[in-house]
Order: sequence, then structure tokens, then C-alpha cells
Amino acid sequence: MSGASRPGFVHRFDPRAKLILLLPLVAGYFLPVTPVLLLPCTAALVLLIAVALGPSALLPPLRAIAPVLVLICLLTPPFYAGGRVFVSILHVPVLTAVGLRTTLTLLLRFLGLTLGFFLAMRTITLDQLVPSLRWFGLPYTVCLVIVIALRTIPAVSTTWRNALDAHRLRADPSRQRGRRRIVERYLPVLTSVFIEAVKGIPVLAMTLESRGFGRANRRTEFLALKTGGALARDMLVCAILTLLLILPLLLRVSAPA
Amino acid sequence: MGDERPAVPTAVRIASVSILAAVTAVLTIVVRIPTPAKGYINFGDVAIVFTAITLGPVSGMLAGGLGTAVSDVLSGFANFAPISLVVHGLQGLLVGLIVRIRPSSLWLQILAGIAGTIVIAGGYLAAEALFISGIGPALAEVPLNLIQAVVGVILGILVSAAVVRAYPPVRQWRW
Repeated sequence: MSGASRPGFVHRFDPRAKLILLLPLVAGYFLPVTPVLLLPCTAALVLLIAVALGPSALLPPLRAIAPVLVLICLLTPPFYAGGRVFVSILHVPVLTAVGLRTTLTLLLRFLGLTLGFFLAMRTITLDQLVPSLRWFGLPYTVCLVIVIALRTIPAVSTTWRNALDAHRLRADPSRQRGRRRIVERYLPVLTSVFIEAVKGIPVLAMTLESRGFGRANRRTEFLALKTGGALARDMLVCAILTLLLILPLLLRVSAPA
Repeated sequence: MGDERPAVPTAVRIASVSILAAVTAVLTIVVRIPTPAKGYINFGDVAIVFTAITLGPVSGMLAGGLGTAVSDVLSGFANFAPISLVVHGLQGLLVGLIVRIRPSSLWLQILAGIAGTIVIAGGYLAAEALFISGIGPALAEVPLNLIQAVVGVILGILVSAAVVRAYPPVRQWRW
């Protein structure tokens, strides 16, 4: 298509390699190392998101996890009172060396894993996800359930909004206050949404059977993932990144006691 | 004495799990009800309790676990996805198994809801303390999880009764 820009290298990276990389990413963040070693990985993820998706793409995940990060900052130090005392109130240690290190580790771990999964999910399309899961050996039925669920979400969301608007027009405003507000306001809406949902079950089941679901013939796949040299190159990059992520374990580098 | 209903066809099982997983995800992501105590609650637990009571323990487990895991991934909390998959899956399974003893008994449904609430609160406390945010933030989230689970049980039981009354064929798809 003329004028269309080519997707970046992160988008073109093989989705199977991206999914594989999530495992050493999780393992790396759970290694018992000083937070100084977690900082470069987290910074690299921030840079990758900024390059692949644009700097503004960082705002939604950061906004979503901000309350949890604040909770970690406020509530972690009091539970870890070992080491040198930095801040004390009325001779009660509030912030110590161990508390600071643990807080930083938890912050970087939560931030890093959130950004890592965010990057993977935003750069893998649904068309790539299902063949990738099949490549890993996930049964066709499970992949079918995942695809149908993901594709049904927008329709259910629309049904919810329509039902909410419809019942709001019918409701008596004077009965919308008080302790029973949640039940009286939302029970009719929820009932409407669930009735609409269960009515779709036999329709979807008939559709599946009319398309031959359950027959023994092999399913056709309409999208091919990378093969050959391109796949080998991406898997080599995946292996190198895996080694980097678990390097502290290989070098037996651990956090100070 | 035995319930001699025919087995639920595979296509219906797939359809019911997929659709109810989507409903669970939407009620978790899209619906945010502000509470005076703290933050927001969502109606994901309503969907899980509804599915477990109406469509059985296996549907409750699969739709509940998958729906909440998908919602965590889509809303930027992928860290919680494996925890939600297990904890809410267990919630759906436990509620469904208890209710299956006598599906029409309101007391059993309430008992099942209480058991599911304990699973939610305990499961998230343990998992968050060990793997996510440490013991402090995990304890701070217990009240909100309890409120959300209790609201889910109350509304889930009410919605299930209303839907079964309005659309009786749904009882055939319990598995």
C-alpha cells in the first residue's frame, strides 16, 4: 500500500520469540539481585516502548499501575526494618537500607513486568497470537475459545452501554440514591446483558457446527508465521536476550545480605 | 433421582465458555463503580458467580479464569493475569461444585458465595504478598477485594435467578 510506513523492528520481531522472551523476563526480575541490576532492563523496556509505539504509549500503563506503585512505596518500608536506618520517627525506624532496597526491587519488578507484557501484547496481533499459541502446542479448541472471547468483547461492551442507557431512561431518579443504589440501578442492566449473552450461546454453537467444528478433517490455517532464516535470526536474538536477562544467575551475582 | 439430561454438546460448551469469558472481561474492565471507601469495584465477580451457578462448575472455572486473565492483560495489569487465572478459576469451580449439590437452594448459593469470597481474599493476599507487591500493599487490598467479592455474590445470585426465570433453556447447558 503506497504511503504506508513499514512496521518497526519490534512489530516485525517473531511473535513466538516475543512470547518466549516473557519467561526469562519474569525469571530475571525475580532473581535475588540488587535493584541496580534491574534498572538497565527497565530502562531498556521504556526505550523500546517509546521507539516502537511512541512516547505517549507509556502513559496508559503507567497511569494504570500508579496507585499500586504508590502503595508499594508507602507500605513496604515499615515491613523491612533491617540494616542502616535512614529515617526514624520517635525512635521507630521508618526507612532502612533493607526497606529501601526491597521497595526499589518491588517497584522495578512491577514496572518492568508490566511494561514487558504491555510491549508484547501491543506488538502481537490477534492473527499472530493464535498461530503462535498453536505452534507452542496449545490445542485448537483452547485457541478457538480465546479468539472467540476476544472478538466478542466489543459486542458485549456495546450491549452493556445500550442496556445502561435504556434502563437509565426508564429509572426513577428518586430511587437512585441510598444504600440499595447499586442493586436497584445495576441489577436490571446486568440481567439484560446476561440474557443477551446466553441467548447467543445456541446461535454461536450452531455457527461452529455449520463450519464443521468437531469433524476429523484438519483445520486450515490462513496465516503463516515466519520460517527459515528470518525465524532463525529472531530466535537467535531471543536466545541472546535470554542470556542477558539471566546473566546474574549465571555469574552468581546476588544482592548483599 | 438421577438427572438424566443429555450431555452438553462440545460446540455449546465452547460457545458458553467463550461468551461468558467475554462478559466477565467486559464487566471487569469497562464497568467501574466508585465506592466511598476506596477506589473502584468492578462486576467481574458477578459474572463468575452467575456462570458457576447457572452453567456449572467447569464453565465457572474456565470462563472466570480466562475472562479475568484477559481483562488483566488488556488493562495493563499483565502481572496479575496468572494470579487471576488461578484464583478466579478456583472461585468459579468451588462455587459451582457447592451449588451443584442442590442448584435451587438459596442457602447453598450463599454458602458457595462465602466460600468463593474466602478464596478470592486469601488467594490474592498470598499471591500478591509473594510475587507482586509485598505484604504491605497486599494487606491494603484485602478490604477492597472483600467488598467486590461480596457485591459479586449478591448480584450474581440475583441475576442468576432472574435470567433462569426469563430464559429457562439456559438450565440445559449446565456442565
